[in-house]
Amino acid sequence: MRKKTFAAAALLAAATLALSACGSQDATSQSPVSAVSQDSGRLGPATVLDQPWDKPGLVLTDTHGKKYDLRKETQGHPTLLYFGYTHCPDICPTTMSNIAVAAQKSLTPAQRDDLRVVFVTTDPGRDTPAALGSWLKGIDPRFIGLTGDFKTVQAAARSVGISVEATKKDKNGKLVSVHGTQVIAFSPKTGGGYVLMSDSATVDDYIKDLPKLVRGAKP
Amino acid sequence: MNRRPLVLATALAGALALAGCSGSGSSKAELSVSGSYMPQPVSADMAAGFLTITNKGGTKDELTSVSSPAGQVTMHSTMGGEMREQSSFAIPAHGRLVFRSGGNHLMFEQLRHRPKQGQTVTLKLTFAKSGPLTVEMPVKSATYHPTTGN
Repeated sequence: MRKKTFAAAALLAAATLALSACGSQDATSQSPVSAVSQDSGRLGPATVLDQPWDKPGLVLTDTHGKKYDLRKETQGHPTLLYFGYTHCPDICPTTMSNIAVAAQKSLTPAQRDDLRVVFVTTDPGRDTPAALGSWLKGIDPRFIGLTGDFKTVQAAARSVGISVEATKKDKNGKLVSVHGTQVIAFSPKTGGGYVLMSDSATVDDYIKDLPKLVRGAKP
Repeated sequence: MNRRPLVLATALAGALALAGCSGSGSSKAELSVSGSYMPQPVSADMAAGFLTITNKGGTKDELTSVSSPAGQVTMHSTMGGEMREQSSFAIPAHGRLVFRSGGNHLMFEQLRHRPKQGQTVTLKLTFAKSGPLTVEMPVKSATYHPTTGN
């Protein structure tokens, strides 16, 4: 009875799991341990775009409650743009911390002053100017935080190929927001968004690439 | 009486493309935890935790809850920038359940204190079949990445 079950299971496994490495039925055999979470062909940390994005004509409110015109304020400056939210445990703080630490390690003080890192919230309901300000202060007080109408944020994100959705309630009634999966680097020379940094970029990737990005060079 | 056929069938059905094998048959789930860490969070409101659970046994198990005296913990999967709370995660026979940055993660909320680099956070993992495991999760730098160690 048991043996039959195992034989059937083995057949089923062989038929359906082309990639599975099933060992023999021998209890002493060591089947290779297999990963559960899949990672389907992620981009490298930096992707240079053939056709740069225009910088979004975004006018929102900064962390001091003042109007901030993205194009005007960042003109002539190397600019990194990211869409995220502060109630985000993983990627948003990691991405911002990677940039902050890499800027500290790989740029001169003049380059750091020149660089504009702009964090646009995808969760304006919770990310008030004050909330955004205190969160960014914990990462790098130079970083700029913008909040405002979600539709405006979403349209700006879409214009640079970033898809985000409005904050909604999950089945437990908890608010769930969505962050962008890339940081867009805009050249200080052309103003074009010419490099995408993926959300798997590490601090070492940013240490390597930031000195080039602040000059508008290709990483 | 004999629950194994059902277990095997569900293990295989659930394991499509995930390579769950039930080769050795008689052995129970044998779980161990490795590579756990928490990147130092920005505040006590919100933090993430990562770890890998390895199952050396021939029977699948399920992570059903994570708790910590440090604060609230929930389990999440991530797809395309959107995270989704899960009530359990499968751990295949001879397989692994991986929580890592950009994918599955543990989310900590309302922590008593903001965890600082060098400290540890105690976790209790509860499973459907195996006994609970206690993990001392080290707090690493905010930019820590397990492959580079920075």
